[in-house]
Amino acid sequence: MVESESREAIIPRVLVTKIGLDGHDRGSRIVAAWLRDSGMEVIYTAPWQKIDTVVKLTQEEDVDVLAVSSLATDHLLIPKLMAALREAGYQHVKVVVGGIVPDADEAILLDSGVSRVFHTGSTKEEVVQRISEFAEEARKAPAVVTFD
Amino acid sequence: MTDKRIDNKHKQWQDDYKKMLPDDKVRSNRSDIKIKPLYTPEDWDSNRYMDDLGFPGQGPMTRGIYPTMHRGQTWSQRQLIGLATPELYNARVKQMIAMGANALSMIPCNSVYRGLDVDEVDPILLGTCGVTVNTVDDMARCLDGIPIDKMSIGLNDPIPFTMLAQVLAHAKNLGAPWKKLTGTSNQSDYISHFVANHMFYRIALKGSRRIQMDQIIFLKEHCPGWNPVSIVGQHMQQAGATPAEAMGLTLSTAIQYAKDCVERGLEPDAFLPRFTFFFDISISFFEEIAKFRAGRRVWARLTKERFGAKDPRSSRFKFHCQTSGVDLTRAQPLNNIARVAIQGMAGIFGGCQSMHTDGYDEALSCPTEEAALISVATQNILKDEAGMTDVIDALGGSYYLETLTNQMEEQIEAIIAKIDEAGGMFEAVENGLVQGIIGESALAFQEKVDSGEHKIVGVNAYQIEDDPSLRKTQPWPDPDVMKRQIELFCRFKEERDQTEVQRALEDLVAAARSDDQNVYEKIVQATISKATQGEIISCLREEFGFGHPLVMA
Amino acid sequence: MAVKKNRPKPWLKRLLNGDRTVLSRAISVLENETNEASAIIRGIYPHLGNAMVVGFTGSPGVGKSTLVNSYIKLLCEKGLQVGVIAVDPSSPLSGGAILGDRIRMAAQEHLRNLFIRSLASRCHVGGLSRATSRVVDVMDAAGMDVIIIETVGAGQSEVEIAEIASTKVVVCAPGMGDDIQAIKAGILEIADILVVNKCDLPLTNHTNRQLKAMLVLREALPDWTTPVLNTSAIDGTGVSELSDAIDEYKGVLAQRNSDGKDKGKKRMLRLLANSVADKVKKDLLETTSLEMDSICDAVLKGELMFNEATNRVIDKLLSHQ
Ligand SMILES: Nc1nc2c(ncn2[C@@H]2O[C@H](COP(=O)(O)OP(=O)(O)OP(=O)(O)O)[C@@H](O)[C@H]2O)c(=O)[nH]1
Ligand SMILES: [Mg+2]
Repeated sequence: MVESESREAIIPRVLVTKIGLDGHDRGSRIVAAWLRDSGMEVIYTAPWQKIDTVVKLTQEEDVDVLAVSSLATDHLLIPKLMAALREAGYQHVKVVVGGIVPDADEAILLDSGVSRVFHTGSTKEEVVQRISEFAEEARKAPAVVTFD
Repeated sequence: MTDKRIDNKHKQWQDDYKKMLPDDKVRSNRSDIKIKPLYTPEDWDSNRYMDDLGFPGQGPMTRGIYPTMHRGQTWSQRQLIGLATPELYNARVKQMIAMGANALSMIPCNSVYRGLDVDEVDPILLGTCGVTVNTVDDMARCLDGIPIDKMSIGLNDPIPFTMLAQVLAHAKNLGAPWKKLTGTSNQSDYISHFVANHMFYRIALKGSRRIQMDQIIFLKEHCPGWNPVSIVGQHMQQAGATPAEAMGLTLSTAIQYAKDCVERGLEPDAFLPRFTFFFDISISFFEEIAKFRAGRRVWARLTKERFGAKDPRSSRFKFHCQTSGVDLTRAQPLNNIARVAIQGMAGIFGGCQSMHTDGYDEALSCPTEEAALISVATQNILKDEAGMTDVIDALGGSYYLETLTNQMEEQIEAIIAKIDEAGGMFEAVENGLVQGIIGESALAFQEKVDSGEHKIVGVNAYQIEDDPSLRKTQPWPDPDVMKRQIELFCRFKEERDQTEVQRALEDLVAAARSDDQNVYEKIVQATISKATQGEIISCLREEFGFGHPLVMA
Repeated sequence: MAVKKNRPKPWLKRLLNGDRTVLSRAISVLENETNEASAIIRGIYPHLGNAMVVGFTGSPGVGKSTLVNSYIKLLCEKGLQVGVIAVDPSSPLSGGAILGDRIRMAAQEHLRNLFIRSLASRCHVGGLSRATSRVVDVMDAAGMDVIIIETVGAGQSEVEIAEIASTKVVVCAPGMGDDIQAIKAGILEIADILVVNKCDLPLTNHTNRQLKAMLVLREALPDWTTPVLNTSAIDGTGVSELSDAIDEYKGVLAQRNSDGKDKGKKRMLRLLANSVADKVKKDLLETTSLEMDSICDAVLKGELMFNEATNRVIDKLLSHQ
């Protein structure tokens, strides 16, 4: 790792998680490893997180990006997650979804505020690149608090 | 003794090959075995025939577990199905029976896999991938008008086997004797769930272990035609284990379960004949065939050597297999029809007893009806048009396949030895050894895909602009239909005799706390008393602990 | 326009009230040492010193996170506000990290009086992240009654936890013979409480005796005898005894601290020294100069003693400023 002169280059923080009923974690583990290997800090959870818990984790870990893996229809819960994040004041956090998501549902997810859906077969390069861009955008959003 | 002529010609060929292909790349399969460009009697010599192969139904069992194999009886075409509600499921099963099916299988809704009743989950998730069966009443509607004592029944029914309890309760209500029922508990392998399919993992390890043994003992007495144990290699391979690892780990699991049975006082020949296996078939064609052949050989040997099995049925490696959904792509989805056909061929040449072929749209959603029909037709084409069942172990004797089978066997034995050394499969999964092995293999394979070393058509090679209209998906269940199912469930709960349910659940808890009562018997009784699967599982979780997988980042 | 001197800043008011969003963002600022960091440090300074700080350290996989999970359950049930700082190692290659400690604490995740924050060590030696002591302070200001730090299980180089945590719990597992050797090398010295976790496994008592024997070699304190406790983080055995021991030690600390209160400054000096050492080491390893080359050469050939060489390098660094 080449550390830049200043400490301006802030390391992105990403929460990798799963909600709903399914527990297959091969995809989320691979994505977590990809993100780590490209220099990000990943908070990793067990599957079956409740929406409230994901909001609490987002808050406590001050993540820039929330990456939710869904392989068995659990993505249907994402609009509810988006609403809960907004209600808690975390609309600056970028949410991405990865896994098996039918086209019609992808449109619904994007409508609900999801930044991007990665389908199976997405490459490491693409996933890492987009997530780091999203992290940067999240950091540029108006601060939730200012310390003066 | 090598033939002089072979030596000379071999040398000459090697020279020619190098000249024409000076920068030939090293190739290896998924189990990381190096694949040579040519195999000859130097690699495998037919002098080894009797040691390595023998005859079908005999000796090392490499060529198959029955003398007649697919000539006598082709594999069962066991398409796993699950539709949102009991009524929809029932209609589909009747349609399949009308088309000649003599076996039925059932996939429950994801909420059932998690051990939750329909009133405990967000309704949006209900019935999306399988049928919502929570009670004996649901099961009765699933099986309405179906002669259950004349069909083999496959249930995707993880521990504590509440679906089987519902079938038994339903049979009792009909007056059908349990002794006449046949079928398999397809997902009884809690170790594989703990490791690689967390959705099915409901109750903490020790409790699962207890219930599995209680079920084996209960069924032996009351429902002897039922196969209680199916050891599942599928999940581990899908989670990233190489084919050799998946086979080795599955056999180690089988060893663990067999030891547990012996510990409970059962004779090996009393339970081994009822062990069955369930594997994934990837598209690595020759490797998969070698995996099955090697697995058959190792199982035949170890049942005799480790457990002293005398009954030949104990050494028969009976397996169901399913074409791997992991190999299917979202890009150019119709290509998956070709992939499934190749995977299916590997299952046939591997000598399977039962097979499920995936719908081509599995990477998009749950299979549409059209895709399901094509996948059945694929099996029929392989069976009836392509002549794949004419010859037993048709690829046996190929220098390549025999060498590969031996190499796979070596790897499988090495994995088994590693697990033995770690104190057996139970301990090796408790401390994360197995999860570590699988995780590393998953990453290694992914790296090959990322680097383009492993090509996937449409994904990292031969990409073309996709036509989104090809991505048809199964519509989600009608919310009104699901609402009615929830209403029926609630009414069922209201109308039952509550004190009876309470008493049955208390009995269940008491059995779980005791050392000598049979917990499975109480599960069946509670189901007869109209307890729901959610209630039963939640009681057991209270007693034995919730099934949290060991999550390793 | 004159600013009213004592009006507390809005963020500070929120932080002191325990606002989680402010706390969490403040931790990020301190961790990244961005511009706002000094405002936070100045703001919270008058509000420190209320929390009890407990460190859990020990080799990888001995069950620190699982044990912390059982301990926080106990604390949270008493209604205490609990903060956890879970440090995991950063990859030296990519600088990234997978922070997995809180997976083992998931059962308490929903509790409102619990706040867990995962930190990556960011290649800082010593088993903690550079920002750890600042993060402790800001959690303290936010009203945490107890702050628990889990270090990366690096083995011996984690003496730094001693500077930050007032109570140090060193966790071992049964039958880790080699491991105990490693512990002896350093972190045994800092243990206020020793724990043999996984006491459901064989060899527990053997390891317990081994540890007690090693403690005998340590200089005895007049007011505290380091206990060696057995716990099973999985089934909860021994956890309330551990909690009692931590409380008892807290009493001893209170006694000690009643005489003399410049501990804070001493701690800061030590932390600063560590930080200077880190920076100098990093710079040295990154620079290439003929002079350094010849010094190394001389030491290799035995022409220069290690001590002399060290002094020469320091002189060189100072003269370059
Ligand atoms: N048998 C047994 N296993 C335990 C106990 N405590 C923890 N474990 C297991 O030990 C493994 C490691 O536990 P962790 O809590 O992650 O250990 P750790 O020290 O935090 O590990 P690192 O943070 O990676 O250094 C897990 O599989 C735990 O389930 C215990 O008391 N008994
Ligand atoms: Mg830990």
